[in-house]
Amino acid sequence: MSSLTLSLAPPALVRLHDVLICLSKFSDTVAIEAEHDLLRLSALNSTKTAFASFVCEREPFFEAYSFNVRRDIRSSSSSTAGDRFYCQILLKALLSVFRGRVDRNKDTAVERCDMELHEDPQETECRLTVKMICGLGVIKSYKLTYEPASIQHAVFDRSRATNQWIADPRFLRQIIDHFSLSAEQLDMYSDSGKAVFTSFTTKIMEGKEVLKYPVHTSVAADKRDFEEILIEDNMHIAINLKDFKAVVAHAETANATVTARYTQPCKPLQLAYDFEGVNAEFTIMTRGEVEGETAPASSRVGMPQLSQRQTPAPISVSRINTPRGVTPSTQMPPPPPRSRPIRPLNGSSTQEHLAPTAASDRPSASSVSMDYDSLFVPADDDRQWDEMEEQEEPQDILGWDASGRQVCDSSGSVQRLAADKIQDNSEPTLQEAEPDFPKMADMRRRPPKDEMGVPPTQRMSQVRGLGLFD
Amino acid sequence: MRFRTQLKNTRTFSKLTASLSSLGKVCWMRLEHDVVRFTIIPDQGTQVWAQIPVDTIFDEDSYQIESNSDAINIEINVSVLTRALRSTFGASSSQLRLTKKDKMPLLALTVLTTEWTEGNMALATDGAEPGQGDVTGDRRARERETWITQEIPIKILHESAVEGLHEPHCPDPDVHIILPGLAQLKSISDRFTNLASTDSKNRQPGIMASDGPNASAGAGATALSANTAPKLELSANMHGKLRLVIATDELRIASVWSGLVNPPLDPAHISQEQYSQLPSERMRGVGDDDESGWAKVRIDGKDWSRVLSVGRLSPKVVACFINEMALVLYVYLPGSWNGEESCLTYYINSFTT
Repeated sequence: MSSLTLSLAPPALVRLHDVLICLSKFSDTVAIEAEHDLLRLSALNSTKTAFASFVCEREPFFEAYSFNVRRDIRSSSSSTAGDRFYCQILLKALLSVFRGRVDRNKDTAVERCDMELHEDPQETECRLTVKMICGLGVIKSYKLTYEPASIQHAVFDRSRATNQWIADPRFLRQIIDHFSLSAEQLDMYSDSGKAVFTSFTTKIMEGKEVLKYPVHTSVAADKRDFEEILIEDNMHIAINLKDFKAVVAHAETANATVTARYTQPCKPLQLAYDFEGVNAEFTIMTRGEVEGETAPASSRVGMPQLSQRQTPAPISVSRINTPRGVTPSTQMPPPPPRSRPIRPLNGSSTQEHLAPTAASDRPSASSVSMDYDSLFVPADDDRQWDEMEEQEEPQDILGWDASGRQVCDSSGSVQRLAADKIQDNSEPTLQEAEPDFPKMADMRRRPPKDEMGVPPTQRMSQVRGLGLFD
Repeated sequence: MRFRTQLKNTRTFSKLTASLSSLGKVCWMRLEHDVVRFTIIPDQGTQVWAQIPVDTIFDEDSYQIESNSDAINIEINVSVLTRALRSTFGASSSQLRLTKKDKMPLLALTVLTTEWTEGNMALATDGAEPGQGDVTGDRRARERETWITQEIPIKILHESAVEGLHEPHCPDPDVHIILPGLAQLKSISDRFTNLASTDSKNRQPGIMASDGPNASAGAGATALSANTAPKLELSANMHGKLRLVIATDELRIASVWSGLVNPPLDPAHISQEQYSQLPSERMRGVGDDDESGWAKVRIDGKDWSRVLSVGRLSPKVVACFINEMALVLYVYLPGSWNGEESCLTYYINSFTT
């Protein structure tokens, strides 16, 4: 049984509404995680390429905050693990509760908002109760249903980020303003003192309908317009423009300076900022061409359209199972054994039989040009199935942290799939870091490594499912 | 084939394209040595033929055009062009040129802005660490340069593809009159259209029965099934009067303007004898209060509203009425009143009853 009660002052209520609006641009549902001293609201988009998370700290965001867990002998509540509680709620329902509640110069303006949640397996009805305490003694109560959820976090290791810029959201919005409304992607690179943002759309067009071709817009801003910018020259990195717009729009309302961190294309990029006790982080998958022998960076200079070529048309779900051999890179090393679904986390497809991936067999990831599909499972690496080496985290882990913790600790509840690993040849030790399975005992359905000699093939969703129906 | 120019009056250019785009997305743009022509011929509704002298929107000194046929014909999505031109607002220089990328022709708009609009001074005021104070100061003092490139996909039309396109031929007008301010005309027209459409939506059988004397209930029903949009009746006479009417089964509203100008026709083009033969002169002879002196057209309210969006250019508009047949609008941009210079011609067909 767990209970959560919290109170919000009107300013925080406005902030919360803004946060929910921002989250609604990523997903239909918001995942709510309560911990002893923080409340985390997060959303993962349907293609799993963008993850938005807002951590509201107990102080100073809330006027009052209390969270208690009493563990029953029979831990029937699947959504309570350790000293946390999580659930998910439809954003539409939550937004309608908070819409237009504040800043009315009416007698009945909201003075305080109380939220309460008690989950008890003995109760037949568990609801999230929202009470708006208004002037003149008016109290408006809302009861919202919620559902248990398996909370997923995108993992991003800031210490490994090699590129970083900090900018005012208003400056970023001025850049966005030039883009066509229908543009879908945003390519960023820097070139001799300029930071170039290009919007483009990857769309296969019929030859006839030339006029419906998307407009390419590029904006070259002086690097000095950033508060800080430290990025590799001529490295193109592309993200969804819609996600970027959502972040900038919210950062602007929060009046917070945005920091972007990333390493290289096809690795996640994180946009982050803090405001008034809220810590916002957006982890977004990037696309582009990984630097390598196939495409020297210098050849890109002065080719703004390149972004379109280097990022093949979005792979539709039906095409996802295409073997890697069809990817556009001509000098690609032999494809890894077997095709595999690129979105294994969703799915109902059969188990994969992945051949052992010895380091020597691996294609040199740096030479691969790939489209991404999922934030959590980049398409270019079979090693995503490997168990994470705990002590020595390779650069840029992109993986699951189903526990909600940023650090993989020794707790048995932590399961992590290394979705992506070593790309950096400058760190030889990383290549030697063979996958290890220190926590194999905890993964009940996974056969031990010795027996099968293959990396884990269990889908994360299924593993979660185990917990759900125990 | 070559085309390159610096832009000037980008606000005007942008307003022009915005007005055009309300009628249709696909625009035929014809670049000639002296004039630029924009033509939109939608499948349905009003067509517009615009002729703009080069120096109205382009800088003549930098205007370069090279083509075998002395003209370049381009098909362009004019709303995309409008959107792209927004980047030129407040810019210190803007260039438009024809180019090619991957064998695809493009109209490339390159814009240099040397400063952002308001708000730039606030940059880096929050969140800047104390150690960055100097950098911040430097940033403020500096002129900020930003390059913006908009690449608009276009289609090059061969001269033979556009040979068959001609402006519609119309009989001489029965009435020609200068329209009142388009803002006023548009707001009244729009209100009439809305009234009539909500009226026809809310109509219930019970109410139908109550409007006894109005025998046109049956006619209204057929009109609804044929074309649900209510029709505006626009009429004018040669005595400076313009009348706007909306009529449905339940309501009939009319606005009348008087004291408008019936401009004289250019005597250079027609002889005195021809002049007296013109239908408009005949109409002038009819008395002010005689209904037969009015020429009337029936037009679609929505379409009319789109036409009137040209009001953003604050032009002078001469409306030529061809009774029960068509309405032709000659829209003159400000500053070119005394010539056939910047002129947009709208051809609006009249609906039959």
